[in-house]
Amino acid sequence: MPILQIKNLTKRFGGLTAINHFDLEIEEREIVGLIGPNGAGKTTLFNVTTGVYPIDGGEIFFKGQSLNGIEPHEACSIGIGRTFQLVKPFSSKTVLYNVMVGSFCRVNDRKQAEARALEVLEFVGMLPKIDLLGKSLTIADRKRLEVAKALATGPELLLLDEVMAGLNPKETEEAISLVKEISRRGITLLIIEHVMAVIMSLSERIAVLHHGEKIAEGPPGRVSHDEKVIKAYLGDEYVIS
Amino acid sequence: MRFLGRGMDWVTRPQNYLGLGLVALLFLFPAFIKSMFYIQVMILVIFFAYLTSCWNILSGYAGQLSIGNAVFVMIGAYTSTLLFANLGLTPWIGMFIGGALAVFVGILVGYPTFRLRGAYFAIATIAVAEGLRKIVENTERIGKLNIGGAEGLTIPLLHHAPFQYQFVNKVYYYYIILILMFVGLYVTYRIDRSKIGYYLTAIREDEDAAQALGIDGRKYKLLAISLCAFFTALAGSFYAQLMLYIEPSGVGGLSLSIEMLLLGVIGGRGTILGPVIGAFCLVPVREMARTYIGTTYLGAHLVIYGSIMAIVILFLPHGIEEPIKKVYFGLAKRLGPAG
Repeated sequence: MPILQIKNLTKRFGGLTAINHFDLEIEEREIVGLIGPNGAGKTTLFNVTTGVYPIDGGEIFFKGQSLNGIEPHEACSIGIGRTFQLVKPFSSKTVLYNVMVGSFCRVNDRKQAEARALEVLEFVGMLPKIDLLGKSLTIADRKRLEVAKALATGPELLLLDEVMAGLNPKETEEAISLVKEISRRGITLLIIEHVMAVIMSLSERIAVLHHGEKIAEGPPGRVSHDEKVIKAYLGDEYVIS
Repeated sequence: MRFLGRGMDWVTRPQNYLGLGLVALLFLFPAFIKSMFYIQVMILVIFFAYLTSCWNILSGYAGQLSIGNAVFVMIGAYTSTLLFANLGLTPWIGMFIGGALAVFVGILVGYPTFRLRGAYFAIATIAVAEGLRKIVENTERIGKLNIGGAEGLTIPLLHHAPFQYQFVNKVYYYYIILILMFVGLYVTYRIDRSKIGYYLTAIREDEDAAQALGIDGRKYKLLAISLCAFFTALAGSFYAQLMLYIEPSGVGGLSLSIEMLLLGVIGGRGTILGPVIGAFCLVPVREMARTYIGTTYLGAHLVIYGSIMAIVILFLPHGIEEPIKKVYFGLAKRLGPAG
């Protein structure tokens, strides 16, 4: 059974249809990319999947369980983790504290939460920085912290929202290997990304959103040459027929 | 040899024995200072330290700024008093019933208002507190029950009656409130170090991020207001028994709520000792100003209060707890190794 099944999903904000009859299935341990021009509805899709916005039409199933009416904290406890496009660190607290908040999703004891957080921080390579305050981190570290917090909640499906944005080439490379490591641990990944090179190299499969509709889906190579995709991003003049 | 569950070397560390010294000083204070005036001042100081610590759970840790906490003081004071005056129930038990009632009101109020964020929640707390105060102020009796209205209620005088929570010698009240303060500090300490504390802090820092990490915002905010309400109500009963007279604006008024907020913000929100430090630094100032200047220049003490608040917010927005902590540990380092 696919770990995530989005069937005929529709989401409206008043008169604006942000997501229009969208279908997507993700198998366990896959890395699926979600791309599309700005305003296509990608983050909205994340928000609906994690219960931030209610579903207006269609259904979403996670491991066979309907996500209809779910609240964000419930989505997390059943195994869906997410990061935010504009990172949300707990700025006046240390890196370790930040990740411990995530740990408490699975453990109740503080010592256990600390141990779990340290494990995660070691995994993402932030052990030297555990005592730094959230507000004093660089953007690359903030993104890494964001991922660490989500990992501490022990997700089976992780939704990454533009984790590469704002990173220089070296940081991007490090982030790519981190994502691959996360996948190796058995976590299914759905990744929103704008940096094309990154998403092409990471994803096994890519879905393309445009004005809330899926206009293409398939392996990276095929999608990148899809006429509709090129038109959506670059306009008519760039289509080579 | 063990002390408080820790090895002997814990006590020899300067930062620990300094702290213990301060605690001992507090407990021995009435042995050295016999003047009833100063004992009354200290009772008030410790009373506010306790009250503000309770407020801190909701407005500091959980970050839900409350300017209406006096409503819980009023519920505690009136519940234990009415139960005592009408049913003869000792306030020692009545105060816990007041606490339970306060929790009930807290949850009732919190449920709809917690979806409001920031200033809107604060306004809602003012509305609730002032609303209830007005109702009590304008209600002489409910059926046969005498509520007192604006004139308030006097607690039946028994002189020295320990089992009825009444003492002639104020020193008894000093020790009661001192113990209550340490209970409050202990509760705060346990919250600070536990999952609840981490979760409340997360909600305060960024509620959306907290939700994404599995935190049920509403559940934990209701927990915070329940703890706050219960312990605040106990202070209300204490105050009733201390003063032997309660009236709506005194125990439920906006100025009392604002006082807690001032002390909490100046002391340091979301810290264990912030409220205590705030109270110990400011309440004596207020009392001294009120005694020596207040009668000649009415309200002068409030000017001093407000000025200190403005300065602290400008230069130390996280409160005076941090710099004082630095001074304390600096002193401890100078006293010896392992400081």
